[in-house]
Formats: sequence, structure tokens, C-alpha cells
Amino acid sequence: MVSPRGVVQSLMTMLSALALRGKVIVVDGGNCFDGYALARALRRHTHNINTALRQVLLTRAFTCYQMMAMLAELPTDGTPVIILDMLSTFLDENVSFTKRQRLLENSLSLIRHISEGAPVAIWARARSTPTGEDELFLVPLLETAHDIWQLQTPEIPIHQLPLF
Amino acid sequence: MGRTLPSATQLMLNEEASLARFRRALRREDQLAFDDLFTAAQKHISAAAYAAHALPFETFLMAMLLEEHKEVIRLRNVVRALEEMHA
Amino acid sequence: MPEFTGWLLDLFEDPREGLILYFIDKCGSRWRLSQPFPITFYALGVDADLKALWRHLKDRPGEISLARTQQMDVFKRQKVTALEITVNNPYTANKTFQQIAVQFPQLEYADADLQISLRFAAKTGAFPLSYCRVWADEANQLKQITVLEDAWTLKPVPIPFRTLTLAPNVAPHHARPRYLKVEVAGETYHFDLGAWRSLLVNLRALIQRYDPDLILTDWGDTWLLPRLIQQSEKYHIPLGLNREIGRGVSWREERTYFSYGQIVYRGQQIHLFGRCHIDRQNAVLWKDYQLDGTIEVSRVTSLPLQTSARVSPGTGISSIEMLTALRTGVLVPWQKQQAEMLKPALDLFTADQGGLVYQPKIGVHKNVAEIDFVSLYPAIMVYFNISPETILPDPKADNIVPALGLAIDTSLEGLIPRALRPLLEKRIEMKKHLASTPAWDPFRKNFKHRASALKWLLVTCFGYLGYKNARFGRIEAHQAVTAYGREALMRAKEAAEDMGYRVIQMYVDGLWVQHPDKTQPAEIEPLLLEIQERTGLPISLDGIYRWVVFVGSRQNKNRPVANRYFGVFQDGSIKVRGIDARRRDSTPFVANAQMHLLELLARKNDPQEALPEAVHYLREQLRTLRNGQVNLADLLVRQRLGRKLEAYRTPSPAARAVLQLKAVGKEMQPGQRVPFLYTMGKPGVFAWDRPQNPNPHMIDVERYQRLLLRAAGIVLESWGLDEEKLTEKVLTNASQLYLPVPPKQHPLQHSSNIPGIIAPPVQCALEGKSQQI
Repeated sequence: MVSPRGVVQSLMTMLSALALRGKVIVVDGGNCFDGYALARALRRHTHNINTALRQVLLTRAFTCYQMMAMLAELPTDGTPVIILDMLSTFLDENVSFTKRQRLLENSLSLIRHISEGAPVAIWARARSTPTGEDELFLVPLLETAHDIWQLQTPEIPIHQLPLF
Repeated sequence: MGRTLPSATQLMLNEEASLARFRRALRREDQLAFDDLFTAAQKHISAAAYAAHALPFETFLMAMLLEEHKEVIRLRNVVRALEEMHA
Repeated sequence: MPEFTGWLLDLFEDPREGLILYFIDKCGSRWRLSQPFPITFYALGVDADLKALWRHLKDRPGEISLARTQQMDVFKRQKVTALEITVNNPYTANKTFQQIAVQFPQLEYADADLQISLRFAAKTGAFPLSYCRVWADEANQLKQITVLEDAWTLKPVPIPFRTLTLAPNVAPHHARPRYLKVEVAGETYHFDLGAWRSLLVNLRALIQRYDPDLILTDWGDTWLLPRLIQQSEKYHIPLGLNREIGRGVSWREERTYFSYGQIVYRGQQIHLFGRCHIDRQNAVLWKDYQLDGTIEVSRVTSLPLQTSARVSPGTGISSIEMLTALRTGVLVPWQKQQAEMLKPALDLFTADQGGLVYQPKIGVHKNVAEIDFVSLYPAIMVYFNISPETILPDPKADNIVPALGLAIDTSLEGLIPRALRPLLEKRIEMKKHLASTPAWDPFRKNFKHRASALKWLLVTCFGYLGYKNARFGRIEAHQAVTAYGREALMRAKEAAEDMGYRVIQMYVDGLWVQHPDKTQPAEIEPLLLEIQERTGLPISLDGIYRWVVFVGSRQNKNRPVANRYFGVFQDGSIKVRGIDARRRDSTPFVANAQMHLLELLARKNDPQEALPEAVHYLREQLRTLRNGQVNLADLLVRQRLGRKLEAYRTPSPAARAVLQLKAVGKEMQPGQRVPFLYTMGKPGVFAWDRPQNPNPHMIDVERYQRLLLRAAGIVLESWGLDEEKLTEKVLTNASQLYLPVPPKQHPLQHSSNIPGIIAPPVQCALEGKSQQI
């Protein structure tokens, strides 16, 4: 899914639904995980939010290297995977463009592999002032996906988990 | 660096902000009393941070209640002193 | 066969001779030695890819040699197979590596792209500016080197530098410098900056005659040396800035980068070969620790002096870690970074916190002891063995980190503790030494500077542990350190309260405690021992305040804030934090006045007695302000430009000043501080570095008056003179009132609307124990 930042709240709501049903893995590529929003969403369904919060397994990637390393180490036991703000770390200009492209390629093939055994949902943030690089990195991602949702406004509620 | 969640101070500001409409609809003297509650809660932000609740508003309420109770204790003592003075 | 004792001044790579080293001989001469120095780095990956690289490189004998080895990967906690690549020519080694990395991107690399001084120190033990015994052969090739003093020596032999100092008479960004002040060998010369030819000839002669080791400049990186070099080329008068013949100087570009949420600006740099150039205006923390401290950083980090003067402490810590890794055979990863472990989201709430920060009780408190853990975070890292490779995700093991689902493996000392231990121990030793060194001891200043340098390195090492780009960073390690820190502070609080103390304030690594019967340092000892017992960490008494005032936030006086306070210790010294007297952006006129008020309060046993003098002083200050008698330079405000100009919707005062500079062709970068004056009308500011002189009548007197009274109010409020009262008292003549009395809503005023509340005067009378003296 491609959309601006405001969608995080809705994503946390979606995440709460998953957490109530079982384990779910969250890979945060943009330091945007909103734990408190998740807790509030869970509270609407249960008193026992701490148990549900234990079901959400979180890892944060602050560089594209970490993102790829993380994807390589993810358990492949069928646990659904949500990737937040997938492309942010790949837009860090402190790393060379070719290196970033390469890391993205590797990351996408790792994702393809994971999606063979588990549902994978990816959110790519649409920046308000996108640069040429944004497009260049978005295209391979879109090409890998089975379903693409493009949202302009964050108000559209998400009922269904898009599957790979 | 590496911080994802907002600080307790920020959380309290968020809670205040989320109650902005409520506050606005109050009479002016009630608004001041309302502000007192948050000023009181501010004294215990560190405890709220340390508690690290997933739903922090509960700890803010505890802080407000705590300060209210301290005031009650203080007033009890004042009243007792006044009573003794007039006895 | 030359043999001598001396100091390693500079070292660098050479295309033909390998490594070049310059030494200062104890006897007074200078040496240039060389040594072949092959560079080794490693390639890691799957066998098939390593074989492909081997095939690509194997036909370059004499240039590159290869070997298959097992090397220690610190994150994997085991040895891994690696292709060891040794390049004979250190000058081309990095280029060779870069080519390999581009052609074989699927491999990972280690020990690549490291400073030559680190490699040399790892191999021989000789770090920059170390005192050594050196053996060479007739061809001046270095044969053997033995370090006589390690980097941790308390009293190193002083280095007999020959220093040449170059300073333009005025800051070039402010006005055009007219002459150059040159100091060397106790003599001072002034050269006209308009007469370049004679300046160059004379300077060249001085450099040749005195052959300095150190060239200290003001604005040498950003203005002076580039100009000198330019003119030298124009007039064909070579200066001989380098000792090394046949080389130009080393130019490095200016940079602006984002660090810890702030924009940082680094000017361009000029490095010399065979001599060291330090630009005092471009040297990191120069004001804090001067040359002594910079030399200390060089020794302790193994970075060459010119580099250590210009890099942030973070780079210093990174060097120390890399050096330790090299010395102990641990691979230094080139680009790979460790990902965070998968953890339950619930844990994030407890883990994602900084140090424990309390809200103090606002107001004045008497006889308060300030006790601080000694270098808390580094001490935790070293004593509790926290390192990227010692963190285990098994919550059932021993040594669980409080409240996190992690454990620490204490079976082997981790890389980071091993790297930091000598640094921490030296800092502690130096602090002790400083405490017992009297003020008149000539060594004292040197000690102070060096202790400060070590302090800065230590302060950074914790942040570096969690830094995303750090080679040996790991976010769990960072979280473990803060978790232990919070636990330590919590236990200290409990110990204090168990022993009858009241905790006035707590901040990350320190507590302010008060006990009615314990007002002398000796009486506090038992508490310190108890805390050390309960936490396992060293803690010391900073001092006992006669009184200390905790101030509210800038926006709201009633909101407690952790880091705004001021107080007077029992020995009469003043400590101030967070208010105008300490802030970098405040006006000297206001800051000095506030400081003076504090001094007045400090002189009397009962601060109340100082009030009349304080009011008198304020009246005087306002008079000089109104009469235009205040030096304009003292009215300067120095605000940081927070973002690029285009990013501002309504320009801040700093931005408006920068616009004025832009109009006269002076560019400023985000991250730089802009000095300006507040003026009346629009645009309300006058940038100081504009070519014209400001008109003293333009000064916004009212604004400065307000700033002064506000600052004074902060200090005097606890004794009944808040900003409002001061305004009344100090501006007694109604016609002199430049400003309306600020409307104030006393926090308790509204209580008269609520039935059942006693009026304030009665309240105070019955209050009994209040916060006032």
C-alpha cells in the first residue's frame, strides 16, 4: 500500500485485529510504530491489552543495511509480516545509490521468499514532496507486489489484509 | 536516537490536547481548575514514564488523584488547627 | 645506525616509500623515517563468491597477496571464513579496496578503510604523540619502535613543540582583516595583509628558520591558509607549509550534516604533511580543553593530531573501539550493521526510555547535597559487561537486565568494556588527582584540560553504542545501559529515603537530597557507601548547597523542569544551569547581570539581605541601557539558524538576520550561530556581521529591558521579587515606564470563586513548612 503518513493510525488498528488473533511480525522501516495507538485500538476490544501486545513482535531498521539483515533473519513459520514505511531507509543519501539499489533488490527477493509461506503486507510512504529517487525505488517494489492499494487520504478504513 | 515512542511529557501534552474541546466548553473558572489538574499531574511525569503503561492516561489520573489527596490531607490539618484555635 | 628517543608527530602514506613517519627527537632534531607497510583487509561471504574474488586478484604478485583464514566476527560470536587480502602499497590500498567492493558487491568486507594511524598503533603500540625509543637503519627506514609511556600515563613527559601561531587581527566573517599577527619562538611580528609579496617572503623565512612542528591559526582552515596558498601560487613564492617536500597540502571540504536531531556545520579543513595545523576557531571543543586536551584525545584514540582536533568525540570513540578490535583480532565491519532483535511490542514501552528524570519541587531549598554517579553510563558498560556481543535474547539466563527481556553474558569481557575500561579508569584517577591538586599548581590546568577531553569521550560512548551507523553499535546494548541506569538511580533514591533523606530532585545520574540533621560532607558518607553497596557503582558528593533554587519552565513558571536551577555551595561557589547566565544564545548584558545578581546573593549568609543591593544594581544597569552606555557587542544575541531559509514560513529573528547577510553576499548555513541585535520597528533585527556599523539609537531598549527584568526575576523571585514586583520597584517613575506591567494570573487567585477555600494569606500562615526560607 502506498499512502501518506497519516495512515499509521489505521495500520495500528489493522495490527490490533491481527494481534488479537495470533502472532504477527512488524518490521518498522521508518521509526513510525505507534505503540500507544496500538494499545488504544486493542483497548476497544479487550481489557487484556498486554497479552495482545506480546503477540506483536517488533523490530526496527534504521538503515537500509539493517533492513536487509532483518529480512534475512525473519522466522519463516507462517507468521504474518507487516512492513512499515519500507522505503525510508533506502532514501538515505549517505549511502551510495548503487548500494541502496542492490540492497533493495536483495530485500525484495527475501520478501518474495517469505511471502511463499506467510502473508506479507507492506506500506510504502508517499512523501508530500517526492524526489526522482522516490519513484526509482517505488517501482521495483510495486512490481513485486500482488495487490496494490494507493490511498490519498488516511481516512479510508482498511478491512482486509492485502496478501502477497 | 533510536527512540520511537514519544516521551511521557509529550504524552501528557497529547492528552491535554485531546481534551481541548472539553476544556473549551467549560466556564472560565472551571477551565482554571481543569488546568490545575494537569499542573498537578505534571509533578509526576517521571513516575508515569517509569511505569511505562501502554495506556498512560491511567497513570496521569493517578497523579491527579494523588495531588488531590495530598491537598485533602493538608486541608484536614488546617481545619484541625483552626478547630483547636477556636476551642 | 640512528637510534633516538622522541615523539611520533605525524604519519601518512606515500606512493613509493610506504609509510612516512615524522618524529620530534628529545635532543631537538627532527626525523623523517619510512617503513614498508602493507595493508590487510578481509572479504566475507559464501565460498563460491570468495573463490571468484580470489581468482580475480591472484595474478598480481608483489602487489597483492591472498590467504584463506578464520577471523572473529564479534556479532556472530564465532570465527568465520574470510579471504585475507594484503595490499603492499598503503597509498593505493584504499583505492584497490574500493574497486574490489564495487566489482564484488555481494561480499561483505572488514578492516577496510581504516586510518593508517590506527593500523600502525595496533601493530606497534605506537600511537600519535607517543613517547618512544626508535631504531632506524642508514636508509632512514624504521626498524623498531618501543613505546615508553602508554596512553594512560597520568603525567606524560611534555612535548617540546616548536609552535608558529598565525592570527588575522579580526574575524574575517565580521570585517576585513588588515594585518596578520605571527608569533614564534617568543617573538611577535605583524605583517600587512595588503602587502602579500613581503608577507609571503617573511613568512617563508620564518618557517624555514624555525621549522615549526605545530602551526596554530585562527580561521586557518576557512580563510587564512586558503588565502596564503592562493597568493603564494600567484606570486610564485612557495611557503613550505608542509615539511614533506613534493606534496601539496591536504584539502577537505566543508560539510553540513544531521546529527542527534540537530544540524551541524563543519568548515573546510587544511591538513599539512610533516607538520600539524590546528585552526583554533575550527577545532572541536578547543575552548574546553585547548591543546593539552587535543593531544590527550590524539593519544587515547590513536587519531593523528590534525584529525583529532577536528572530529567529534563520536569519531574518537569509534577509533578506540576499532583499535581494540584490531588489537584483539576482531573484525571491524565495513558496512554491515546489526539489526534489532525481534521483541514483543510490550517490551518497547519499558525499553524505549532515556534516563530517569524527575520534576523538582519548584522554589528554594536549603542544605541540599548533590550526589552524582561517577560516569554512570560508561561505568555500567564496563562493570556490567555491556557490549554488542554480550547481549543474549534469553530471559531465563542469569544477569537479566531489569525490566527488559534480555540477559548479559558475563563469561568473557566484551569488546566495548575492554575498549572503555582504561579510559574510564584514567578519568576517575584524574578526577581524584585534580581534587587533591591545589589551585596554584602549574600542572592543574593541564590536568583539567585532559580530564575534560576524557570526559567528552566518555560522555559520547554511550550514545555511540546505540547509533545506527556505529560499527559496533547495537540498540539492545543501548537499552540495557539506560535500564541499568534507571535501576541504579531508583535504588539510590530508596537508599536515601530509607536513611531519612528527602529527595528534592533526580536527573539521570544524580540526586539532590536533603536531611535536617546532615549538613556536612562527612555526614553524607554513609549514604554514599550504602548506594555503592546497593548498586555496585561508584558515586560521589558533588557538594552541599547552602541553598538551591529550582526554576520552572520558560513558558510556564509553574511547570517543573529538570534542568533549570541555580545555587550556592557551602564553599561559596555558584552553580547555574539552564537560565540566561548559562545559555549560549543569551545576551551578554543580560547573562552578566544575572550572574552578578547571583554573586550578590552568594555573598550574604541570608540572601534576603542582598536584595536592596540587587535592586540598586538593576536600576544602574537599566540606566546605562537607556543612556546608550552599554557596549553594543554586549547586546548581541546568538541564535542558531535551525533550518534552511526557504523552510521558514515566518522567519525567526535568526532567519531575518541571515537574510540581511545574504543581501550583502554572506552565506550562512543551517547549524551556524548568527549574532544580531534587536532593533526597533521592522525587521526588528540587525545582523552583526553586516558591513555597516549599527546605529545605537536603533536598539530596541524596551525589549532588552524586558529581557533583563525577566532574567532578574528568575533569580530574585524566591525572595519575593518576581518580574512584576521588580518592574514596579526598578522603574519607579511612571513616565519612565517603557512597558506595561505584564498581566499575571496568580495560580491561586481563582480560588476565591470556589466556595470553601480559605483566602491565601491565611493559607500561607497556616502552611507551616513552606518552600520559602
